[in-house]
Amino acid sequence: MSETWTLGLKLFIITAVAGFILGFTNYLTEQPIMKQRIQADMEARLAVLPSAKEFEEIEIDEVADENSKIIEIYRAVDADNNIVGYTFKVLTSGFGGDVEVIVGINSDGIIEGIRIGEHSETPGLGAKASEEGFTEQFAGKAIDMPIEVNKTGDLADNEIQAITGATITSECVSNAVNLAINYYSESLIGGIDN
Amino acid sequence: MKLREIFTNGIFKENPIFKLVIGMCPTIAVTTAAINGIGMGLATTFVLICSNLVISLLKDFIPSKIRIPSYIVIIATFVTIVGMVMEAYLPDLYDSLGIFIPLIVVNCIILARAETFASKNPPIPSIVDGLGIGLGFTLSLTILGSIRELLGAGTLFNMQVMPNSYEPALIMILPAGAFITLGLLTGLINKFTTKMD
Repeated sequence: MSETWTLGLKLFIITAVAGFILGFTNYLTEQPIMKQRIQADMEARLAVLPSAKEFEEIEIDEVADENSKIIEIYRAVDADNNIVGYTFKVLTSGFGGDVEVIVGINSDGIIEGIRIGEHSETPGLGAKASEEGFTEQFAGKAIDMPIEVNKTGDLADNEIQAITGATITSECVSNAVNLAINYYSESLIGGIDN
Repeated sequence: MKLREIFTNGIFKENPIFKLVIGMCPTIAVTTAAINGIGMGLATTFVLICSNLVISLLKDFIPSKIRIPSYIVIIATFVTIVGMVMEAYLPDLYDSLGIFIPLIVVNCIILARAETFASKNPPIPSIVDGLGIGLGFTLSLTILGSIRELLGAGTLFNMQVMPNSYEPALIMILPAGAFITLGLLTGLINKFTTKMD
């Protein structure tokens, strides 16, 4: 056998074994990973709308503005099947890439909470958006006015305090929340979503 | 070389960051906080030990002409497996270390140790070399991360250390801060270690 054939064959053996091992690992871990992701999504929805018992995804047409896009809406019901609110998963462009924002609005038109999902914002700056100190500012805001970002202090009712050094991230999160608010006010208010 | 020497070699004489100056890309990227340094370091150490072992075992099988593609396939396979298994069975650990896993594939420290050590030495010393280099990397990343976090955010391992009146120097957690810290630290360390020699 010529050297070329030997080299080719050996490289083939290495890649084939690697491929087989990877395929087998994927086969073993696929289900648990799916379960983990579904579980994590569920926990995120419960965190932003704690009064809910169950969630049901609703079909939507594409809803987007220049910066944000709603990718998922779930209708939340309590134990007696009454609608208690909606959760939105919004993708928005931050400083370092897309930021996933999960927003929960209850049927009284109050934001119950928001959470930041996957993002690639600067650690120590924009990444602080996922900390409670920032996200809890949104809880309890009414949806009759769009949320504004304030950099100086002295917050009005519809304002949140920007993260120091991360105005772009702060604004992209509030932009995402406003998109959810708009959609809620226009299409979901009163629980009519079909 | 004795095993003890191989181990300490990776931490001091051939410290990947301050002496060999390799793996700079993840070094600059993740050292914004001390905890990130530990996470990236330990994930790398694990992959390094595994890949060193396998490459040492396969060193007579892999012809030198195709060693680089072979090493890369082996390393990438390990990294992918670690990522998948961790996400499936250790979700909490994956949440904190997950972002570092894909970075390890492009970490040249692993390829460098495969090339300069594991492909020329038996399995046991190769494991020890992986451990030594990995811990040296972890230690250096943690030192860099601590300095940058302390000056750039006023905290250490996410705990407030600096008094509230301290105004954090944001530049320290931006990439420029990484270059400044790395340069000064490498200079200082080399000044003292060359004197000792």
